[in-house]
Amino acid sequence: MTQRHILLVDDEPHVTRVLRLALEKAGYAVTVAHDGHAALACMAQQLPDVLISDIQMDGMDGRTLCPRARAAYPDHDFLILVMTSMTALEERDWARQLANTEFLEKPLSPRQLVARLAKHFAVSGATA
Amino acid sequence: MSPHSPSLPDLNLDYDRYARWLQRSCGRELALLVCDAAGTPCWTAPQQEALPAWLDGLTASGFAWGARGEGMQRHDADGATLLYVPVTVKGKTAGWVGVREDAATGADAPFEWDALAEGLEDVAAAIADECRRQGELNQMAGELSDRYEELHLVYAIDRQVQDMDSGEDVFGSLLESWAEHMDADVAAFIKPGENLCVSATNLSQPIHNLDLVLVEMRGDLYRFAHSSRQPIVMNDPGDPRRAYIFTDMPFKILCCPVFHDKSVVAILVLLNHAHKEDFSNSDRKLGEVLANHLSSLSRMHSMLAETSKFNQQMAAALIEAVEAKDPYTRGHSERVHHIAMEIGRALRLPARELDNLFWGSLLHDVGKIGIPDAVLCKPGRLTRDEFTFIMVHPERSYEILRHIDRLQGAVPGARHHQEKYDGTGYPHGLSGNDIPYNARIIAVADTYDSITSSRAYRAGRSHEVAMAEIVRVAGSQLDPGVIAVFEQVCRAEPEWIARFGIQRDPAAAVAAEVA
Repeated sequence: MTQRHILLVDDEPHVTRVLRLALEKAGYAVTVAHDGHAALACMAQQLPDVLISDIQMDGMDGRTLCPRARAAYPDHDFLILVMTSMTALEERDWARQLANTEFLEKPLSPRQLVARLAKHFAVSGATA
Repeated sequence: MSPHSPSLPDLNLDYDRYARWLQRSCGRELALLVCDAAGTPCWTAPQQEALPAWLDGLTASGFAWGARGEGMQRHDADGATLLYVPVTVKGKTAGWVGVREDAATGADAPFEWDALAEGLEDVAAAIADECRRQGELNQMAGELSDRYEELHLVYAIDRQVQDMDSGEDVFGSLLESWAEHMDADVAAFIKPGENLCVSATNLSQPIHNLDLVLVEMRGDLYRFAHSSRQPIVMNDPGDPRRAYIFTDMPFKILCCPVFHDKSVVAILVLLNHAHKEDFSNSDRKLGEVLANHLSSLSRMHSMLAETSKFNQQMAAALIEAVEAKDPYTRGHSERVHHIAMEIGRALRLPARELDNLFWGSLLHDVGKIGIPDAVLCKPGRLTRDEFTFIMVHPERSYEILRHIDRLQGAVPGARHHQEKYDGTGYPHGLSGNDIPYNARIIAVADTYDSITSSRAYRAGRSHEVAMAEIVRVAGSQLDPGVIAVFEQVCRAEPEWIARFGIQRDPAAAVAAEVA
């Protein structure tokens, strides 16, 4: 099976470092971008199976990135996971409009993220 | 390389900076490139895009990266020379830093190569340092994230235990969320002493014989944990211990003993399919935390069970004392209690009110303990004086029960169960909604049982007669709303009608409807 590719977007290096380690340990190929512009550039190079994005970022934030990523590749069916804090529930409305988009509650447990992805790929595995 | 050491291409180092640095120390622009441990270029100096192709040419004609002796290495090719040094991290080659020197410049100026060698070695050392630092950072991040997972789980347990209703299946719901948190296929809590075996699944793949697996846990695995007295981790399918404890359990196993007073009373077991990751040290520690929690929870649980058993036995003794006075009322409290609870549940009373109704209906007649036997058991009509004794019994119930803090909420139900809806009842002559809700419910159940059970002076009447009578006094003696719910309960033909030995008389029902 080819390696699944995950694009991880967060402007906080400590977050990306920890998540990247956990994801790589779980066997995923991980690309890290620190804002939306960089993320779109990465997508132009290689389309990810999953895009994991923070919301608050300098440069292009997640609220702008996610719809753009979705719109730019309408034929590529990838999962978007948006990292939000429990307190920012109103942040979720815009993301609910997007297809195949779910939430991750911050602070994020790497173990749970890995488990969640495993479930996702177990379900979508046949088609990917 | 340790799993935390990043490889050069992952580091995203600012090689331009090293190139500028080298350029300054050598006084000229250099054709610099950085390769990973396998010799694949991961960076080339600006305007040196041809370098990788040139390198491929070298490799094709027999060049292989390698350090022979100390210092800068040299490989001569047609018209150009590759000068290079290894990047060594923790005694292992993590990559190479090299420079292409064209014969025209390099060969004519061999003295410059001394400076270049020093520069290259400095750059390689700097890259190696960065590599190490990043590796350490990764290691720390990994450690931290393990600790974070532990804390995360502990917080989650804490929150969950806080939010839990005492009535819920505590162990079941805890195990369910633990299986999810730990990403384990099965979580089970087994306490052979109490014949308790609770499990939750979060299966990544089906387990066909889960019941059988649980039986194995109860037997061999429990005995093994009981004697080893410490967490058992078995990831390897060939683990020699498996032969002694299991006949057929091809899973990765984490088994933590649950202690009580220093002896193993239960085990917590997590199972994973073989394709999942091994249980780690961190998992093991988490397992211990969970086991400790279970230990105190299960202790609390059995204490609660003991207390509530004691309460019920005390109540039963009290009721026994009342009912011993009049053999005809034997079982009355229990029946009224049962019927009142059926009505309460049909009304969807909140848990607290149901609890009040529970005790109020059970103990509503304890005040009868103060009524002289001669009055209580008198077969004929009571005189006015005798009836006064009867009238005070709800107030007596109140006086007896009010001393029990736990029953404060239950007292009004017992105290006012003889009030009538139109205000003609006793002890306080309350009417309508001024009568506590629980008292109105108990009144309906009490009326029903008085009619259907045998008394000193008459045999019990049928269910249909009782219902007709209750409907007749709706609004005068009893709350019509409660009666409506009671009728609804009875329409479902509940099992207790037969269990309480209540007569049936369908003809009476028809007669009542015609009338």
